[in-house]
Amino acid sequence: MFKYAIRRLLWLPVLMTVASLFVFTLGTYGPGDPVIVMMGARYNPETADRMRKELGLDRPFHVQYSEYMWNFVRGDFGESLRFRGQPVRDIILPKMWVSAQLALVATAIVVVLALPLGFYIAHRQGRWDDPTIVAIAVILGAIPIMVTVPSLLWFFCRYVKWIPCSGWGGIFDLRIVVPVISMGVFQIAGLLRLMRASTLDVMGQDFVRTARAKGLSIFQVDRIHVLRNALIPVVTVMAFSLAGLIGGSFITETIMGIPGIGRFVVESVFNRDYPVIMAVTLIGAAAFGLSTLLADIAYAMIDPRIRYDSESNLN
Amino acid sequence: MHKLSRILIVYVLLAVVACGQVTEDSEVVLSDDASQSGEVASGSVMLNEDKGDIVSSSEASIASLVDSPSGGAFRRLWADPPTLDPHLTSDTTSAGIVVEVFSGLVALDTDLNLVPDIAEGWSIDGNTYTFNLRDNVKFHNGRQVKAEDFKWSIERAADPVTASPVADTYLNDIVGAMEYIRGEADSISGIKVIDDLTLQITVDAPKAYFLAKMTYPTAYVVDRNVVEAGGRNWWVGDPIGTGPFKLDEYRIGERIILLRNDDYYREPPTVARIDMNLAGGQAMAMYENDEIDITGVSLFDLERVLDPEEPLNQELVVAPPGFTVSYIGFNTKKEINGLENPLSDRKFRQALNHAVDKELIAKEVLSDLVQPAYGILPPRFPGYNPDVSGLRFDPELAVKLVGESGYPDYLKDIQPGTTYYDLAQELLASNPNTGSGTPRIVITVPGTGGTVGLDLDVIIEMWRQTLGIVVEIDQAEWATYLEDLDRKKFQAFAGLGWSADYPDPQDFLDILFHSESSINHNGYSNPEVDSILEAARIEQDPVARVQMYHVAENMILEDAAWVPLWFTGDRYALVKSYVKGYKLTPMIVPKLSQIRIE
Repeated sequence: MFKYAIRRLLWLPVLMTVASLFVFTLGTYGPGDPVIVMMGARYNPETADRMRKELGLDRPFHVQYSEYMWNFVRGDFGESLRFRGQPVRDIILPKMWVSAQLALVATAIVVVLALPLGFYIAHRQGRWDDPTIVAIAVILGAIPIMVTVPSLLWFFCRYVKWIPCSGWGGIFDLRIVVPVISMGVFQIAGLLRLMRASTLDVMGQDFVRTARAKGLSIFQVDRIHVLRNALIPVVTVMAFSLAGLIGGSFITETIMGIPGIGRFVVESVFNRDYPVIMAVTLIGAAAFGLSTLLADIAYAMIDPRIRYDSESNLN
Repeated sequence: MHKLSRILIVYVLLAVVACGQVTEDSEVVLSDDASQSGEVASGSVMLNEDKGDIVSSSEASIASLVDSPSGGAFRRLWADPPTLDPHLTSDTTSAGIVVEVFSGLVALDTDLNLVPDIAEGWSIDGNTYTFNLRDNVKFHNGRQVKAEDFKWSIERAADPVTASPVADTYLNDIVGAMEYIRGEADSISGIKVIDDLTLQITVDAPKAYFLAKMTYPTAYVVDRNVVEAGGRNWWVGDPIGTGPFKLDEYRIGERIILLRNDDYYREPPTVARIDMNLAGGQAMAMYENDEIDITGVSLFDLERVLDPEEPLNQELVVAPPGFTVSYIGFNTKKEINGLENPLSDRKFRQALNHAVDKELIAKEVLSDLVQPAYGILPPRFPGYNPDVSGLRFDPELAVKLVGESGYPDYLKDIQPGTTYYDLAQELLASNPNTGSGTPRIVITVPGTGGTVGLDLDVIIEMWRQTLGIVVEIDQAEWATYLEDLDRKKFQAFAGLGWSADYPDPQDFLDILFHSESSINHNGYSNPEVDSILEAARIEQDPVARVQMYHVAENMILEDAAWVPLWFTGDRYALVKSYVKGYKLTPMIVPKLSQIRIE
């Protein structure tokens, strides 16, 4: 297991290099030019050339790329082109933190609601409440977020007037309610159905039937056998979703006025702010690599049948 | 297994903590907001068209006003300024803040008159301007502003190392400035310090618009010590200016707070602080919820707000249209990207102009939020010609002009008694996509997501119905759009507006239509127009100068290089009744110091 993790970690820089090369190539050779965006309607070629030279954008691809990567490794993410002269690091880290907090709370709510509900309705298969709850969850999940957020906003901010209409004050601030409901409560369908299916799967297994046959009560069987085994795929999926935490949510952030990374990255792409795009890509690639590793490790830890290192792999 | 349960417990606890907090706080806020009227609101979008950039101006709330000192606070939405360095400023978002924190020799007042600012007076002798500085002007750190500071500041703005995108636009008239900008000189020879309070600037020709250009932040004064010590983002840590407000706090994506400068050399503001929300949000909802003091009114809220029964109607302010004109630009070159360009035909372009019923669109589609444009210069702008005729809606003339133009060969086959429209319909029916083998006409618009604007949709339909001409729309993402626009690669383009940065007709006509201007995106070239524009630059008699621009404008309109569309801007705004003295201006000018909160 340990060796496996090390091996996977060693692959991480390779993943990041490939991702960053891809983005940097697109940036250099793709359409659009940060200097032209900066100059907007008052473009003139002479000034543009002068600015490119001053900003170092006229240097060869490999020079720009290797300089960026070298600085990145040392923790310097470069200076934003859109916010002239400002360190990318100072701009994006607080925004990523905001998005991560929001996503974490939303995920927590999904877990709290979806897991018990999914477990419960699996036991009610074939009765009225199973399809009802699944249907409600799927319908909620099917409503686009650009509908849920304004509707919730109308209700909480304009109708009952419990909370301000926009802004961000951290996870203990009231204004988190609307985004968390739309990103949490409304998004339980996936995990709910996964939990339900995996519970049903386990409940149909021989060992469960044996346990019941031994005379264990249904609660004991549930606690000792069903729940634990049913959670295995669920935990894996959740570990994967950790990578999405820092991605932010463009729509929610925009409508709610949350200073997160989602909206910022989209704007940076439109403005061809490559230092920002590069930094977010690299951090995102690292987060993705780490969370898949985490998922694999979690899988191995909770499912004794999975072994990554030994040759005596079962199955 | 046990680890798993622990993870779960952590999750559960986290959620419970979050939920618990929610219920506790909600009651407190409930009482705060209990007095609001309830209504659903949609966000409004403000078009910052000076650079064509569309800024969604709907920003977050600062939860509550931190203790307001006497004078009160003015709260508004704003967007993240790309910079607050005056010398790098080239957009309205930045300029709106910069003009309040920094200042220069001259300024525009809210009626757009040129007024003395740091210079209390000046004399003009031919090409030489001599400015007398006030003796009571201090930077926010207390140091007195002297003529030497201006010389250093303007040279810093022009320094290639500063890499200002607009230094050559605003400073190029000063003798020696271009040499300095190109790195060919050690100083700008046209700027001389006579004594501590006297500055002399020599321009290369007696240009009537020079002082107007000096009102732009490129020519503002900054504190040398602060800038040299602070590095490229000196203004983040130590934003020392001379303006009526001091920058107290700037958090990207969150807020900007300006505080009153009590040592201001002109009359200090009465409002104590300005809160600018940068995080986005639904402007109208926030306004109704008392989170901000001013908002534009979008199309969606207009009907409700215009209703005299509605309480909000009392707070409605109607502004004259801004100094922005939106338009469809036609490329006038014979060939574009190797393809034949029917738009190179003047009569054809005129026909397209005459076929657009702008009154109808403004009224029915855009709810009179805009004013139809027949000329290029906006109403009330210097040099505006109230008698400009332009190419008015005239479908019959349009059809006739298409017939006279070299556009469609099939027109030659029109039989007497057959209207062109009927024939065109037949041809369209046989080949709906291409207009039966005639050269393609493509209008490119910026943006993503396929929405091109209602007005353009209607215009294209008018062309199809009146002239039987099919025009296609192509959409390019913003950065790509700008790049291709600057390369003059578009056959026709829309979705852009031009707004003035200084109030002089030269800022519209000369830089958009002179054949050698780098932002003449049409490739428009008329030697006669060129020579009039060049003469107008240095014409000393203001009346004669305006006349020259009238003539040039008419010629450009007759050449139909554009379909001028609308004079836009925030037509309607809501301002809280306790805010006095806020003036909606058609350009960015310093104005927050005149606000009073009562």
